[in-house]
Amino acid sequence: MKDLLKKLTETYGPSGNEEEIRRVIEEEMHEYVDEIDIDVMGNLIAYKKGNGQGKKVMLSAHMDQIGLIVTHIDDNGFLRFSNVGGISVLNTINGRVIFKNGIMGTVSYEEEIENIKDIKLNRMYIDIGASDREEATEKVSIGDVAVYYSPLAESNGRYIGGAMDNRAGCALLIKTIKELKDCKNDAYFVFTVQEEVGLRGAKTSAYAINPDVGIAVDVTSTGDTPKARTMAVKLGAGPAIKVKDGSVICHPKVKDLMIDRAEDIDIPYQIEVLEWGGTDAGAIHLTREGIPSGAVSIPCRYVHSANEMVDEKDLENGVKLLVKILENEIEL
Amino acid sequence: MNFKYGCEEGDSVESKDFLARLIDIPGVSGYEKEVSKEVSEVFKGYCDDVCIDDFYNVYGRKTRGTIEDKPKIMLAAHIDEIGLMVKDIDDKGFIKFTTIGGVDQRILLSQEVIVYGREPLFGVIGAKPPHLQERGERGTAVKIEDMTIDLGLPPQKVKELVRVGDIITFKSPLVSMQNNFVNGKSLDDRASVAVMLETMKELDKLNFNADVFFVATVQEEVGVRGATISTYGVNPDIGVAIDVTHGDTPDSPKEETNEMNKGPVICIGPNLHPKLSQQLIDVAEDYSLQYQLEVAPGPTGTDARAMQIIRDGIPTLLMEIPLRYMHTTVETLNMDNIEKAGRIIAFFIASMEEGWREWLSY
Repeated sequence: MKDLLKKLTETYGPSGNEEEIRRVIEEEMHEYVDEIDIDVMGNLIAYKKGNGQGKKVMLSAHMDQIGLIVTHIDDNGFLRFSNVGGISVLNTINGRVIFKNGIMGTVSYEEEIENIKDIKLNRMYIDIGASDREEATEKVSIGDVAVYYSPLAESNGRYIGGAMDNRAGCALLIKTIKELKDCKNDAYFVFTVQEEVGLRGAKTSAYAINPDVGIAVDVTSTGDTPKARTMAVKLGAGPAIKVKDGSVICHPKVKDLMIDRAEDIDIPYQIEVLEWGGTDAGAIHLTREGIPSGAVSIPCRYVHSANEMVDEKDLENGVKLLVKILENEIEL
Repeated sequence: MNFKYGCEEGDSVESKDFLARLIDIPGVSGYEKEVSKEVSEVFKGYCDDVCIDDFYNVYGRKTRGTIEDKPKIMLAAHIDEIGLMVKDIDDKGFIKFTTIGGVDQRILLSQEVIVYGREPLFGVIGAKPPHLQERGERGTAVKIEDMTIDLGLPPQKVKELVRVGDIITFKSPLVSMQNNFVNGKSLDDRASVAVMLETMKELDKLNFNADVFFVATVQEEVGVRGATISTYGVNPDIGVAIDVTHGDTPDSPKEETNEMNKGPVICIGPNLHPKLSQQLIDVAEDYSLQYQLEVAPGPTGTDARAMQIIRDGIPTLLMEIPLRYMHTTVETLNMDNIEKAGRIIAFFIASMEEGWREWLSY
C-alpha cells in the first residue's frame, strides 16, 4: 500500500490537468481489467466483466487534486494565482508548490498585511526564485497550475502527504481491481476528473455508463482532533459508510447493503454524516432517471492541506469492503 | 417508469383527512419510503396507474381524450420534509444532531421529536431553565451545536437503539384552527400533494385531452433532486410545479408575501414559461377562479427550478399555496386555497386542445 500511495500522491494532477496521474493509474491496473477507455473529459474507465447475472456497478474515485493556477506574472517575476478547487489561505501560506514541469516555488503574501485575517488569495503570490518577468516566463506561463509539494511520510501506521484527497481513494480502487477474484457484478472503475471543481467528471461518465448502482470512494473528515467539530468519525476506526454530505443523501438501501457486507466480513466500520462537502455520488445519483448511490469514505485529517493524514488499516479494510460488495449479489 | 398497479376506484378521500394522515408519516429528505406508500395508496383511487421509482418518487397517471397529439403534462409536488439526523451520541446518552434541509435553529428549543432508531423513540430538544442560566445567557441564541435530544433512556440503551445517521422528525400533528385554517409540520409541501388530489377529483368531472402524470417528488428540500430525476424519466411536454409560498404576517415584507384569503398564487418570472403562464391566468379569469400573482425574479426555490432545464427544456408553470411560518412546526394555511388551486390546474389541463403546441412556441 505504501509504495502505491507514494506513487499516486506524488504524481501531478490538478483538476483539468489529469494526464500524468491518469497514465500512472492506467499503468498500475491495466493488466487486471477487461477493457480500458478514456472519455472526452479525460475520465479513465476500467471495466471488469462480471458473471453475467449481477448488476452494473460504477465505482468512482476522483483522481484530480486541488491546485493554484497562475493568473499574472509581475515585473519582478512573482506569480499571482487563483484557486482550482478548495485552496485555503491558511493551508497555503509559506508552503511549497510544484508545477507540472517540476519547477518549485514557495507561496507567500504581501508583507504589509498585519492581520492574518486580511490575507486573501489575491494578496498572495508564488515565488519561483525568478529575478524578473522574463526569467519567470521561461519556466511558467499564465494558466499553469501548481500543486502542493509534499512527499509521502509515514508515522505510526499513518500516512501523511498531499492529495490523499483523493489518491487514497484511487489506491483503494486499484487494490480492489487487483484483489477481485470472483466478480459477480459488471464493475466499472472510474477514475474521474474535475471532482474538486464540481463533480464534473462523474456527471458525464455516469451518464455514459448508466449503471444500476453508484459507489463513490473518497476521503472524509474526522472529528477526532483537538476541539474538532462534532463528527462521529475517527482515524483508524475503519472505513466510513456515508449517510449524507452536502451533495447526496445516500440511498438507504445502498447504505444498508454496505453495512451488511462490512458485518459479513467482520471489519471495523463507521457511519459518516458529513455536514458539508460533496463527492462523486452527488453527481452519479442524479444522472438520468436516478441511480441509487452510496459512498465508502476514507477517514482523513487535515483535508485540503499539504499534509493530509490517513490510516493504513482503514485503507486495507476499505479494500476488503469493496471486494466483498462486488463479489456478492447486490439486491436493492 | 414501470407502472405495475392496475387501479380500482377507491373511496373518496377528503383533502384535510389526507393531510392529517400524511403529515404524521416521517419523510425526511432521502427517507420518503413510508410517505410514498401512503400517497400511492390514495393515488390508486383516482388514477389509471400508479408506480413508485427507486428513489420513492410516486407517479400517478390519468390519460383521457380523443385528439391524436395529446400533451404529456407532469404535475410535481414534493413529499419530503425538513428534519434532523443523528450526528453523535454522547456518554450520557444525549443525541447530537444535524439538520436536513433549511431548519431554522431558533425554533428548535423545547420541540418534541421522534427519533427513528430501531423503533420510533419520543424525545425532546431540551432547553436550560432560566434559573440556571448565567447572566446575559437569555439574550443570546443557543447554537445548534450545543443542543441535544433527550430520550429519557440510559446511555447503553440509547446506543442499542439509535445509531449515527438515523432520521428525526418533529412531532406536530395537524390542528384545525378557525376559518378553515390548519397548522402543522411539513404542510410544505404535503399541502401541494393535496392540491394534486383535488386536481384529480376535478378532472374526473371534466372532459380533457391529456396524458397527466401526478408526481409526488422526493428530496426537494436538499436541492430539487427528486424532480430532477423524475422529470427526466417522464419527459413531459409541460411541467407544473406546485409548492407553498409565503403568507402575510406582521413581521414580513408585504412585497414578498401573499394574502391568505385571496386564492392560490400563480408565480411568474424567468423560471416559468411566459405564454403558458398567461394561458393559466386566462383560464382562471375565464372561469372566475380566484388567484393572486407573484413574481420570482430568478430560479424559484421549487421543483420548477429543476424541471425547466431537464433534457432539452420543459415549459414549466408554478402554482403556489400561501403558507405562514414556513419551515416551522406550525406552518399555517387556508384549506380553501388547496381546493381552489386544484380547480385552476384541472381547468387549465381541460383547456388543452388541438393546436396546444402553439402555446409553447415563441
